[in-house]
Amino acid sequence: MSTPTSVPAGELPAGVDKERRNAIAVAAAVGGAGAVAMAVPFVASFAPSERAKAAGAPVEFDVGGMAPGEMKTVEWRGLPVWVLRRTPEMLQSIKKVDGEVADPKSQRTQYPTPEYAQNEFRSRKPEYLIAVGICTHLGCSPAGPFAPNQNSQLGADQGFLCPCHGSTFDLAGRVFKNKPAPDNLPVPPHKYLSDTLVLIGDDSNA
Amino acid sequence: MAEYKTPYAGVAGWFDQRMPTAMAEYRKHLSEYYAPKNFNIWYIFGGLAITVLAIQIITGIFLVMNYKPDAALAFASVEYIMRDVPGGWFIRYMHSTGASFFFIVVYLHMFRGLMYGSYRAPRELVWIFGCLIFLCLMGEAFFGYLLPWGQMSYWGAQVIVNLFGAIPLIGPDLAIFIRGDYVIGDATLNRFFAFHVIAIPLVLIGLVAAHVLALHDVGSNNPDGVEIKKKLDANGRPVDGIPFHPYYTVHDIFWLAIFLMIFFFVVFFAPEMGGYFLEWNNFIPADSLATPSHIAPVWYFTPFYSILRATTEQFMVVLAVGTIALSALLLLTVRNPIVRGGIAVGTLVLLLGYFTLDAKFWGVVLMGASVMIFLGLPWLDQSPAKSMRYRPTWHFWLLIAWVVAFVVLGYFGTQPPSQAGQYISMIGTVIYFAFFALMPWWSRMGSFKPVPDRVTFKPH
Amino acid sequence: MKKTITRLLVALGLLGAAGGAIAAGAAIPIERWPSDRATNFGSLQNGARLFANYCMGCHSANLVRWNRLEQIGLDERQIREFLIFGNQKVGDPLRIAMSPAEAKVWFGKSPPDLSVITRARTSFDFKGTDYIYTLLRGYYRDNSTPTGWNNIAYPNIGMPHIFWDRQGAREATLVSTHRHVDLKTGHAGFVQTTTVYDVNGNATKTETELKDPANESFAYTFKPVDPQQSRQFDADAADVVAFLAFITDPSQSTRQRIGVWVLVFLALFAVVAWRLNSVYWKNIK
Repeated sequence: MSTPTSVPAGELPAGVDKERRNAIAVAAAVGGAGAVAMAVPFVASFAPSERAKAAGAPVEFDVGGMAPGEMKTVEWRGLPVWVLRRTPEMLQSIKKVDGEVADPKSQRTQYPTPEYAQNEFRSRKPEYLIAVGICTHLGCSPAGPFAPNQNSQLGADQGFLCPCHGSTFDLAGRVFKNKPAPDNLPVPPHKYLSDTLVLIGDDSNA
Repeated sequence: MAEYKTPYAGVAGWFDQRMPTAMAEYRKHLSEYYAPKNFNIWYIFGGLAITVLAIQIITGIFLVMNYKPDAALAFASVEYIMRDVPGGWFIRYMHSTGASFFFIVVYLHMFRGLMYGSYRAPRELVWIFGCLIFLCLMGEAFFGYLLPWGQMSYWGAQVIVNLFGAIPLIGPDLAIFIRGDYVIGDATLNRFFAFHVIAIPLVLIGLVAAHVLALHDVGSNNPDGVEIKKKLDANGRPVDGIPFHPYYTVHDIFWLAIFLMIFFFVVFFAPEMGGYFLEWNNFIPADSLATPSHIAPVWYFTPFYSILRATTEQFMVVLAVGTIALSALLLLTVRNPIVRGGIAVGTLVLLLGYFTLDAKFWGVVLMGASVMIFLGLPWLDQSPAKSMRYRPTWHFWLLIAWVVAFVVLGYFGTQPPSQAGQYISMIGTVIYFAFFALMPWWSRMGSFKPVPDRVTFKPH
Repeated sequence: MKKTITRLLVALGLLGAAGGAIAAGAAIPIERWPSDRATNFGSLQNGARLFANYCMGCHSANLVRWNRLEQIGLDERQIREFLIFGNQKVGDPLRIAMSPAEAKVWFGKSPPDLSVITRARTSFDFKGTDYIYTLLRGYYRDNSTPTGWNNIAYPNIGMPHIFWDRQGAREATLVSTHRHVDLKTGHAGFVQTTTVYDVNGNATKTETELKDPANESFAYTFKPVDPQQSRQFDADAADVVAFLAFITDPSQSTRQRIGVWVLVFLALFAVVAWRLNSVYWKNIK
């Protein structure tokens, strides 16, 4: 292999070096800008396509036919969204466990709770809980809702139990203290289009 | 040899100490590769070909992220890319435009070789690698064209695979083997996808590397055909040579800008190019039961396709006459009795074959020969001067006549068959092959101008 | 080679059979579509409405989504209220209820999906937009066909005249000049056949032998009962074609807009690169 050499500087007339450097700088700047612009559509192609966006479009659900205490699961963006019609007795139980849950006011930001759900019952309408039914620990879907003393892990409390590692959640989706799961169940963006028709996945202009 | 001690400092030094090859290769191929200083515009097309290869690979990778190689899904997946994938239309148009531009650039690159004798000794191997690249490129384009699964995709593949069916004895079975089915179908699409996306690109990259390395080992030719390594200065560098980097890097960057202007004009304002780059019939999903009224290969294959179509029963007579004439010339020229015997026997065998085997078979043979014959150029060209500049002017006009024949054959290849087209294609085929076949004789004839020992260069 | 020629001949034969009244060699005069409508939102929206109300009875556009129409000045609410029938969502493709297999049984040919139709119907002889414009306006009543309609751009077309109520009744006169060989006498000459189809589809044919040789040709004229209505339909047809051109290539306007900037930038870069090149090469003697 050859040892490194370079064109001796003495071969070039004075001032050429600076001229070359300036020309390179301008060309690199303009060329660089062009390269970045070229990259934009390629990088953009990674974003969800129209097909993905259509599949992930908001889902309408009518809560009108639900019985008190009934829970239904609605699929949105591949996620199970729980809709639970809570009885007055269930709402009372939520108030009782304020001191036993890790984040009673839903202030943690990992899965930010929308401001319309940062209330006592974590919902727009107290009667209906709308939350994503995926444990915030490692992603299993919890079982429930359990009535008092229906489940040994929950004991007298009402709520949900994740079978994978034992995290428990109350009937507002708040995780109990000292459980593997760090966060309350996420509340998806949603809004009511009418008294009974809820649009899950969109909370604009609500 | 003393242990290597890097002259660089810092991180660069750390790296260079452990992998001195990196900087050594940079010097060998760029900053200390001495190229002739008199390169003209015909010398931009090699670099542009590498650029287009890079464009095709990068756009290809992004297309494969969304394309579905399934007969039921392929057509829709291409439109999905065009409509639903953000920026997808841009990536697709770049790839379809790039395919055509690849051939434009490569044809111009090869023409440079014809003009300046770039295939002559000691660069025969560079030329051979180049011809292999050309063959791979044709294969790559052919396999890629099936992927959109339009009518032209389907029927073009059907016709070309059936060409292999023309081979005597093994043909029909071979065609089924290539297709993986009795007709072009999902099996064919999947394997063509594999060839197009990974198999041939790997081979292409290897061949391009071999092509450039073989070139750098012997040094570049130039428009005067003068070997610059014959005149070295006190430092052992060619007096007519300049380091590729920075002189030809900045030169190529400028021409790249011009090329990109033309390329992106097509991408943004004329991606269909009147139906030549994106064929209209290919916007109809493939239908195995309905043949389009007019099947033609994509424009870059049409000269060779014309030669195939020109080979009819009628043409076999012309072919026979040509073969006899060539044999006669050879017999007059060659001394060796064994070779002469071989020529005589070979001619008789060919003549027998011309009139016993189907013209269809000979059409395939001639089409193949029209591509393969480029490989013979280093030995066919016997001119004492490498470059057209120092050859008799009529040599240049012969070359131009051949180019015209190539273009005219190409034009008629795009048209539906017609009587006039048939006759003109036959004439074109004769010119095409005569140019090569008679080259050992005509390239020696005429009055040559004295070849200088220094390149001709105008400072600018 | 023989197989290729055979295939091509078969295809030509099929085309000839489909040619019906058209003699081999006579091209159908294709009218130019008024392309200025291509970028007019009013035309495109009218075309969209006509497409949804008339064409989508049989033709899907499965590769186009409803929300793509936001590009022609409609908002989600308008698309949902005025264009989408049934419970499709605004992100759904333009699907229809009819299955292609059933359609083939009913009409003899499956009505093609129209997502890329203006490109698919383009050839080296005419543009797809011109062809479809001529086709939509080329219907005439003809009692000899199953649908009662025929079309000068596509003889014996299986598609009925969907827009008949918008175009209104017309009388059609078809003049075809073609070579004719009398099989009995062996005499070859040119014959001009004039067929007049009245508003009820009854045909009156007259044949004249031409004394002098002529070119094979085909010409037609329409006589609408209500010319004003027919002219209004011409505008509607142009709008439908504009819409079809839009859905075939929705990125066209974006593409051309960005393209101008790209070329301006590249011209600038070319100048910069030229200066860079000169700065180096002026030292080479």
